[in-house]
Amino acid sequence: MKRFWLIGLFILVVVGVIAGVILTRVQVYAAPEQPIAYSHQVHVEAGIQCLFCHPSPLKSPLAGIPSVQKCMGCHNVIDTDNPEIQQVASYYESGEPIPWIRVNLQPDFVYFNHQPHLGAGLNCETCHGDVGQMDVTRQTVKMDMGWCLDCHINQSDEKVGRLADCLACHK
Amino acid sequence: MTKRVSRRDFLKLTAGATVVTGLAPSVRRMVLEPYVQPPEEVLPGEATWYASTCRLCPAGCGIIVRVINGRAKKIEGNPHHPLNQGKLCARGQAGLQILYNPDRLKNAVLQSGGRGSLKFEPLYWSEALDILVDKLETLSNPNRVAFLGGLMPSHLYKLTTRFLSSFGSSSPIIYDLHSALEGRNSTVQLSESLFGSPELPIYDLANAEVIFSFGANFLETWMSPVSQSHAFGTMRQGQLGGRGFLVHFEPRLSATAASADEWIPIKPGAEGYVALAIGRIILEERLGQASSHRPYSILYQNVDVQEMADASQIPVEVLHRFARIFADADQAIAIPGGGLAGQHNGGTSMLAVQALNLLSAQIGRVGGVFLSQPGPTAGFRQNPNPGSFENLSILIERMKSGEIDLLLIYGTNPVFELPTSAGFAEAIASVPYVISFSQFVDETAARADLILPDHTYLESWGYEVPAPGAAKPAVSSQQPVVRPLYDTRSTGDVLLAVAERLGGQVANALPWSDEVDFLQELATELHGSSLGAYDAKTPSSFWALWRQYGGWWTEKEIPREPDISTIVQEPIPVSEPVFDGEENSYPYHLHPYPSITLSDGRGANLPWLQGAPDPMTTVCWGTWVELNPETASSLGVSEDDVVRVISPHGELEAPVVIYPGIRPDVVAIPVGQGHEQFGRFAEQRGSNPIALVASITDPETGSLAWGATRVRIEPTGRKKSLARLESLAGEGRESIG
Repeated sequence: MKRFWLIGLFILVVVGVIAGVILTRVQVYAAPEQPIAYSHQVHVEAGIQCLFCHPSPLKSPLAGIPSVQKCMGCHNVIDTDNPEIQQVASYYESGEPIPWIRVNLQPDFVYFNHQPHLGAGLNCETCHGDVGQMDVTRQTVKMDMGWCLDCHINQSDEKVGRLADCLACHK
Repeated sequence: MTKRVSRRDFLKLTAGATVVTGLAPSVRRMVLEPYVQPPEEVLPGEATWYASTCRLCPAGCGIIVRVINGRAKKIEGNPHHPLNQGKLCARGQAGLQILYNPDRLKNAVLQSGGRGSLKFEPLYWSEALDILVDKLETLSNPNRVAFLGGLMPSHLYKLTTRFLSSFGSSSPIIYDLHSALEGRNSTVQLSESLFGSPELPIYDLANAEVIFSFGANFLETWMSPVSQSHAFGTMRQGQLGGRGFLVHFEPRLSATAASADEWIPIKPGAEGYVALAIGRIILEERLGQASSHRPYSILYQNVDVQEMADASQIPVEVLHRFARIFADADQAIAIPGGGLAGQHNGGTSMLAVQALNLLSAQIGRVGGVFLSQPGPTAGFRQNPNPGSFENLSILIERMKSGEIDLLLIYGTNPVFELPTSAGFAEAIASVPYVISFSQFVDETAARADLILPDHTYLESWGYEVPAPGAAKPAVSSQQPVVRPLYDTRSTGDVLLAVAERLGGQVANALPWSDEVDFLQELATELHGSSLGAYDAKTPSSFWALWRQYGGWWTEKEIPREPDISTIVQEPIPVSEPVFDGEENSYPYHLHPYPSITLSDGRGANLPWLQGAPDPMTTVCWGTWVELNPETASSLGVSEDDVVRVISPHGELEAPVVIYPGIRPDVVAIPVGQGHEQFGRFAEQRGSNPIALVASITDPETGSLAWGATRVRIEPTGRKKSLARLESLAGEGRESIG
């Protein structure tokens, strides 16, 4: 009887953990719900370049998200009847930042820097996928260390020592 | 844990917890908040460094603060600053924890439940100012208001003095324990009587060959420790072709003493005797450059070397050796430090030490004694020199006798910092209305009716004239590195707003719209000076550079020789130290010393400083009593035994640290702990040795003789282990407690 209970408990634990892991993975790839139904697709199809709104990956570690002021630069006149745009305007008027939910996230122990990646000739979509086709932005690749190393290791001999070094990312 | 958990229960709990954790998929959702209106030139992820001034001690070092996305992250020394030259001490580094301290007052408060109730009611600033204006307007006489200040930014001192004088009241009274432990007031008085200039002299340590330090902990807390440590490094690395030599006289082996070539555990109060004996020997034996001695022979008329040797318990041969070392050096300096000022004979001892510099003609010479050159910064130098304890005692008496109706307190915590016997706590109770400008509820603010919290120094404007300064005339500027976190208000702006409401004379004396207006006007006085390290085409671009550089200083060093022509030639008196407490019933000397981290207690609410171990004993987070092994064995106590230290004025209990670096007749206790209020990290931790001190003063200077109290020690039979990195025997490395 006791053994039966123990085995039952063990199975329950294993199932629980596996289910948790799967659900977590699913959530990672699911697009998070954003405070405003913003569509990258609409903006890219309108001919706006990535660097117009995310201006700093060429000169700083972060790509940057546009200030509310920048949104209003266009949306003062464009599509002002749209309730979502009106919501952006209300954020701007009250002086509140829009609480966007982060889509691509590196843990605290990784020092990721956009600048050298763009400097090495990578495009935004290499890592972020074809955002121009996404109505709701989601993560397209699992940004784990194996994925980083896939690139970092396949480099020329003079670069690989530096790029495969732990301290390249874990400072 | 009182209830035991069986192995089976433990397994069940673990399994249950695992299942629950596994079933709840948790993905970290992080909010990204963009700027609504981005500041110019700010790159997300790139740090901006702002130059400002450190305010954790009165030295006035230049700092640069790393700010990312509007948050201050790290403080470093300003590499351009002539004083600290890019270096910064532990206290300076810990300044961030003042800014982010969870115990900060977030708005103006009224202590609605009565003084000491700690029941605070938030106030709008307009209401708070109404109260202040009303209290000032209803005074029957402007002399019934008193302003007590401690570490005040120079611009605020200037504004306050202007405010009070136009109101018809007397200037702020400046007193804080840190300055008292450094002997600032006595040093200024000595400088005034010798050189005719009431300021702190600069000792050119970097170029000295021999330094005799008499109780000057110049590598720890005394005066300007960062710049002095830098100079000490230069002196040790043999700038002049040899390694400099340091002799340190102090009853306890401090970190400065530990860095010295020779440490002389001198009898408390006998430092002056040694200096006099050395001087007398130099004269008698015509040591060194004899020609320079002649004018000063009268100073040593009353000195008998044998008597001095007996009184100081230092053999004549040793004194002779020191005299030769001092006289034979090309550049030798004797420094009268804070330890001397804390004795009953402090003034005369300090004079005796400074006289050695006269004797060896070191005044105004390279590797000697200088004064700071104001140059074009003279307009900035209305620095608050700390007043004497006697001055403060007069205020305490006036408060007790009901002559003060309104007391304003800024930047000092007298209830904690003064000996209990000074009676400040009773005196403040008889003042009808007390207003504090403190950012924290400390012991004094807890006895106030109204608290109008100032910004922390990382959120405020100002400037500071470093004192003692550097070889270059300098002013350090202060600017906010972040926006104020809470609804606090700069005390300068509070005064200006009050002046405007009061109108008339006061408003005319303070015509500025805010303190930045005042600072800008003052700073741009330096615009166009040809001596500066930088200059600008217009006053407004000068103001920008003033903030970018973190102040203004000259390009070249401009030393200023003290004027010694007016020195009165009269014999230096030999005065015996007087101690409070009978030697029979109180056999030990109490030696309270400023903690290198907590200073006089103002750092006790910063966990980084609490956790930084004392350099000599490696103790952190507490108070301890240092006893010589001989003393400890005669009392029958060992390491970590709690003892009761009793003076005629109070007692405290603390665990023992057996410390060979102390005289057997001296008991040392660090100052800084023992707060009743001052936030969660400081409260109810350790004890305050200053509470035990007798409020006797040096009759010469009026300074508090904080080192002139005798104590006795009683074992309690209890033990309490201290948080220590290691014992002096090297045991217990890598483990705390």
